[in-house]
Amino acid sequence: MADFGIAAPSVKVADGKSATATGKSLSVVALRKTYGGVVAVDEASMEIEAGEFVTFLGSSGSGKTTTLMMIAGFCEPDSGTITVGDRDVTRLAPQKRGLGFVFQQYLLFPHMTVSENVAFPLILRGVAKNEIRRRVGETLEIAGLSGFGGRKPRELSGGQQQRVALCRALVYRPPVILMDEPLGALDKKLRDQLQVEIKTIQQELGLTVIYVTHDQEEALVMSDRIAVMRNGLIEQFDSPRELFERPRTPFVADFLGAANFLPGRIEQHDGEHTLVRLDNSGGLITARRHQLAANTPVKVAVQPGRLRACAADDGFCTGTVETATYVGTLVRAGVRIDGGDGPLVRLEVPAGRGPVAGERVGITADPEDVNLFADEQAG
Amino acid sequence: MAATLTANAPARPRKLLASRRTRVGIVYALPVVVYLLVLFVYPIFSTLLLSLKDADGSFTLHWYADALTGVNLSVLITTLRISAETAVLSLVFGFVLAQAITRLRPVWAGLAMLVVVVPHFVSALVRTYGWIIMLGDKGLVNETLTAMSVPGAPFQLLYNELGVVIGTTSMMLPYTVLLLYGVMRGVDRRLLAAAASMGAGRVTIFCRIYLPLVGPGLASAGLLSFILSLGYYITPALMGGPKQTMIATLINQQVTKENQWNGAAAQGVILLLLTLAGLLLVKLVSSLGASRKKRSAS
Repeated sequence: MADFGIAAPSVKVADGKSATATGKSLSVVALRKTYGGVVAVDEASMEIEAGEFVTFLGSSGSGKTTTLMMIAGFCEPDSGTITVGDRDVTRLAPQKRGLGFVFQQYLLFPHMTVSENVAFPLILRGVAKNEIRRRVGETLEIAGLSGFGGRKPRELSGGQQQRVALCRALVYRPPVILMDEPLGALDKKLRDQLQVEIKTIQQELGLTVIYVTHDQEEALVMSDRIAVMRNGLIEQFDSPRELFERPRTPFVADFLGAANFLPGRIEQHDGEHTLVRLDNSGGLITARRHQLAANTPVKVAVQPGRLRACAADDGFCTGTVETATYVGTLVRAGVRIDGGDGPLVRLEVPAGRGPVAGERVGITADPEDVNLFADEQAG
Repeated sequence: MAATLTANAPARPRKLLASRRTRVGIVYALPVVVYLLVLFVYPIFSTLLLSLKDADGSFTLHWYADALTGVNLSVLITTLRISAETAVLSLVFGFVLAQAITRLRPVWAGLAMLVVVVPHFVSALVRTYGWIIMLGDKGLVNETLTAMSVPGAPFQLLYNELGVVIGTTSMMLPYTVLLLYGVMRGVDRRLLAAAASMGAGRVTIFCRIYLPLVGPGLASAGLLSFILSLGYYITPALMGGPKQTMIATLINQQVTKENQWNGAAAQGVILLLLTLAGLLLVKLVSSLGASRKKRSAS
C-alpha cells in the first residue's frame, strides 16, 4: 500500500490555465439498439452539459454499457443521433470522434512505458516533442504518478495502472471522457480514494465525463446527475438528491434508497399533504401532496434511514422489533407490524438510541420523506 | 508402508543402487538409454571424430577448410540464402493466413487450421511430387497460364531457385501458421479498440500496437522455418537444379557417390552447429517473449 503515498489527494493544476472548462456538451436523441430482436437500449434521450459528470447506473443488462459503447462508436445504434458539441458523430468511427475512453481492464499497451502510453494519443495528433513531454509530465503529476513515467504497466499496481489509463484519456483533452466501470477491478478502499481523485480532476479541469457503474454509492459520490437505467430504458435522469428523495418510479426508490414498500389506499387530500390508509395495519400515514384520486391503491415508499422509532401507538403504525443489528454508527432494525404479514419494516436509527429486539415501537416519518406510487398490481 | 520407507530414506544414506525404486527405474530406462547411446550419441561423436581425422588417422582441420572454401562454400551460402528466402516467404504467407484465421468464427477457424495442418500428414516426398506435377512445363499452373495467354508462359517454375523456394515454403507454412495463430490469439483485441478510441487509424494500430505485440512470435516462427530449411533434403533435391544444391544434398552426394565420409562428416557438423545456433536464438527470443507475456499478465 505504501506506493499509494505518492497519490496526492489535492490536485495541482500546472500554470493554472487548464482550469477553464475543456469539456463539451453531448446530446443523445432517441438512441435505440437491438440485439437479435432483444431491445438493449430503447429510445434513450438525454442532454449532458459541458463540464458535467453524468453516471449511467443500472444492473447488468440494463443497457448502460451499450449506451456508452454507442457514444464511443464501438457499437452502431439502430436509430437515433449522438451529438458532441454541435457535431453529429452518430455514424463516425471511434477514432474519428476524438472522445476519451477509460476501460475497466485498463488496457494499457504492455510494450510501452507509462510515459509512452500517455504520449500515444498526442503522437497520433502530431503534437511537437517538447510539448508532448511537457503535457505528459503535467498529466502524470495531476494523477500523482510523477516518477513512474519510465516504468512498464506490468510493474504497477491495479490502482496505478488505472491512473495511467485515466491520464492517457485526458492528456489530449477530449471533449467528453467515457468511463466503463473504471474502478470495478479495484478493492473498496482504493475505489473510494480514486472516486475522489477522479471527481477532483474532473472538476478542476472542467471535463465532461460519462461514467458507467452498477454501484449506487459510487454514482452518488461522483455524479452531478445520474441516469438510472433498467431494461434498456432510462427510469430517471436527475441529480443524486432528487433521485434519492424524489424517486419517480418504485424501481428507483428501491434501487437507490432500498425503500420499504407498504401497500395502502389514498384516504384524502389535506392541504399540502395526502393521507394514506395502510392495508396491513390500518394506520394512517401522511405523505407529500399527491395527484392521485382518493381510494387509489398505492405503494408507500420510505427509506429505512428516514423512518424513526417512537413510543408505541404514537406513529402511523406499531410493531415489535424482531431484529436489531448493530452496524457501527447505526442500528438496523426489522419491525413486525401489528396485524401485518408482509416483510419486516426496515429502520436505520442512530446507534445510541437504538431499539432492542422484543421492544414494542411506533414508527413515524416526516411527510417530506414519504413517496407514493400508484400500485398497478393492486385492484 | 510408503510412510516408513520415506521416513527411513534420509536417516540412513544408502548406496545408490540399494533402493528398490532406483533399481526398478534403471531396468525401465535401460532399453531407451542403450538405444540412444548406440543410435544417437555414438553416431554424433563418431561423425565429429570422422570430421577431424585425416586419411592416415591423424588429427586435421582440413575437412572443415574444404567445406568452407570453393564450391562447398557456395553450396553453404546457397543453403543459407534459400533458407532465409523460405523463412521470409513462409512468414509473410503464414502471417496473412494466421491473421485471416483469427478473424474467422471458431468453427471455421478450426476447419481452416485443419486444412493447413492435414497436408502435413502426407509424406513430404508425395507432396513434392505433387508440386512437380503442378509446376512442370505441362503442369496445371503453366497450362492454365498458357490457356489464358499470359505473355511469357509457360514459365520455368521447376529446377531453379524459384521451384525450390515454392516447395520449401509450402513445407514450412504449417509451422509458421500454427505458431503465429497461437501468438495472435493471445493478443488482447480490446487493446486495439483502446488505440482506436484515442484516435489511431488502422495502419497506426497495426504498426504501433499489433506488430510489437506479435513481434516475438514472428521472430521465433521465422527462425524455426529457417533452421528447418537448413537441413531440408527431399524438396530441394527434387525441385532444384544443380545451382540449387543444398548442403544436405551435397552430403548425400559425397557419401553415396564419392565415398568421401570425412568431408561429409565435417559438413554435417557445420549444419548441426548452424541448427543449434538457430535453436538457441529461437529459445532466447521466445523466452524473452514469454517473460514479457507473463509479466504483462500479472
